[in-house]
Amino acid sequence: MASKLKKLVDDSKEGSGTELDLVDKGIVNILEIPGFASLKNLTKLVLAHNKISSVPPNIANFLNLEIIVLFNNIIEELPTTLSSLPKLKILNVGMNRLNSLPRGFGACPMLEVLDVTYNNLSENSLPANFFCLDTLRALYMGDNDFEHLPPEIGRLKNLQVLVLRENDLVELPKDMGELTRLRELHIQGNRLTVLPPEMGNLDLVGTKQVFKADGNPWVTPIADQFQVGISHVFDYIRSDTYKFLYGRHIAARADPPPKSVDKSKKISRIKK
Amino acid sequence: MSATAGPRRNLFNLQPLDATTPSPLFQRRRVAVGEETGHEANILHLEEDLSATMSLGNAVCQRCNDGFKMDEQIVNSSGLWHTYCFVCAQCFQPFPEGRFFEFEGRKYCEHDFCVLFAPSCGKCGEFISGRVIKAMNASWHPECFRCFCCAKILADEGFVKNQGRALCKDCNAMEKAKGLGKYFCFKCHSIIDGGHLKWKGEAYHPYHFNCHSCGIELKEDAREKDGELYCLRCHDKMGIPICGACRRPIEERVVHALGKTWHVEHFVCAKCEKPFLGTRHYEKKGLAYCEIHYHQLFGNICFVCNNIINGDVFSAFNKAWCVNHFACSICDKKMSQKTKFFEFDQKPVCKNCYDKFPGELKKRLKKAYDEAVKAGKI
Repeated sequence: MASKLKKLVDDSKEGSGTELDLVDKGIVNILEIPGFASLKNLTKLVLAHNKISSVPPNIANFLNLEIIVLFNNIIEELPTTLSSLPKLKILNVGMNRLNSLPRGFGACPMLEVLDVTYNNLSENSLPANFFCLDTLRALYMGDNDFEHLPPEIGRLKNLQVLVLRENDLVELPKDMGELTRLRELHIQGNRLTVLPPEMGNLDLVGTKQVFKADGNPWVTPIADQFQVGISHVFDYIRSDTYKFLYGRHIAARADPPPKSVDKSKKISRIKK
Repeated sequence: MSATAGPRRNLFNLQPLDATTPSPLFQRRRVAVGEETGHEANILHLEEDLSATMSLGNAVCQRCNDGFKMDEQIVNSSGLWHTYCFVCAQCFQPFPEGRFFEFEGRKYCEHDFCVLFAPSCGKCGEFISGRVIKAMNASWHPECFRCFCCAKILADEGFVKNQGRALCKDCNAMEKAKGLGKYFCFKCHSIIDGGHLKWKGEAYHPYHFNCHSCGIELKEDAREKDGELYCLRCHDKMGIPICGACRRPIEERVVHALGKTWHVEHFVCAKCEKPFLGTRHYEKKGLAYCEIHYHQLFGNICFVCNNIINGDVFSAFNKAWCVNHFACSICDKKMSQKTKFFEFDQKPVCKNCYDKFPGELKKRLKKAYDEAVKAGKI
């Protein structure tokens, strides 16, 4: 096994030495990859479908890293040093067992795409500076446990893609209306009943845009608009009638709909 | 009547306040300066004279009204004075070098006279002796009173008041033209009423020129070509290209693009309206775009490297990828046009990776897919 890995690392070195793809190689510990430490010029590291349980803090020594893919491992915690990588643009830690993101993670200077799909994250597990990541253009948070999206989401001005598919969201903040560059929004499979009227600012209607909102217990007027089309939904939430109804709905403080999805079978939940 | 008219006129020898002729003040002062050598001579002469004619026993001093002692020196200057009474009315000091200035019956040394009565120049602030120019509510040395624009001395030629400035006649005409928003003909130096013709950077009455081709007297719509002026008719007959944006003839550099001709500065990006100025442009549906806006509008920015895609574009899920970056979003395996892939949150996933998804996720994805098909969305 180790000799096979060594050959792959050597192959990488013989090439440009800047990219290392070790997908589905049964790797348990990054530090056990033979010759790994010598790949100082690494720009891309792809370790999807392995058995890695932790990321060593000295990952921060690979100063040229731009892309890290750790999809489908068993990582529970990321090192705080991750945010010091000066060139990191794409980080994919989807399908792991993350219960939190490291302290200070929002300091990543260049991060453009963050994929934390299929973990155990919620609004309580984000670091305080998370929404300082204003270079983000895509944020994938589907299959997590958010019930409330922090209003600071409005600070991610460059966001073009936001995926909140199959969380436990009971409401969206009005600050969503500030994400004017958004052209892809996935909020299907949550517990949403209403949309803030401010979301009328967003341009999500059209052939170049994506707006997925199925599988939510919408109030009847909104559900009716979804029946006739997404453009009708946005026209409706911009109307004064809706603003009035929305205000009354919020003032009534009705109990949110119960959780309807059983997540116990998610592999991110399974304990060692 | 005639007997009384004479003395009365003498009594009230007043000048109007705004008179431009020198006031009696200056006449008198001029006399005093003119006779300055005479004064000294006069004093000396009188001293001799008086020592000889002691018979004037009842003579009194003009200032203190006392008589004179026998051997006392007396000053004779419009009356007799004790030498110690013949002093400046302001500083009570003898007159330096015997020079004094008289005003309203009092005598002053030069310094005090200037301080009290002499005008100071509106430009240099110095006292003026000699000729005074009274103008613009101030006094001036003749060499200090100049045109505001060209600094020509105005004392003898006269001036025109223009917005609180003194101007010579030429400058005034120029300023007036400017103030009216009109041009000043470079040839005949008069204001151009109506349209002007720009020629080598100067404005002219159009009628000073004739068409280089047909000889007709030009109007303001005349045009220049190769250093000659033509009437509009002749100019249009010479086959000059017309700009596709402003519809006016193009006299300088011509841009040929989109099957039309353009002024360099009018051939612009349809989105940001900045001129291309020779940089590459991209055409789409009869419009031209700069590189940035073409790709921004038509979506050819790679989702991975966020750079503009030059060359082949892979498009899927409302995203685009450059050839090098179109790969499985999970294992980074390169994909081609023929590769089959699955959709996961609007990202491409290869079959290998999709097969590794946990069963419960695959079940949910399939359910969502089936519902979408049922609703007619796919």
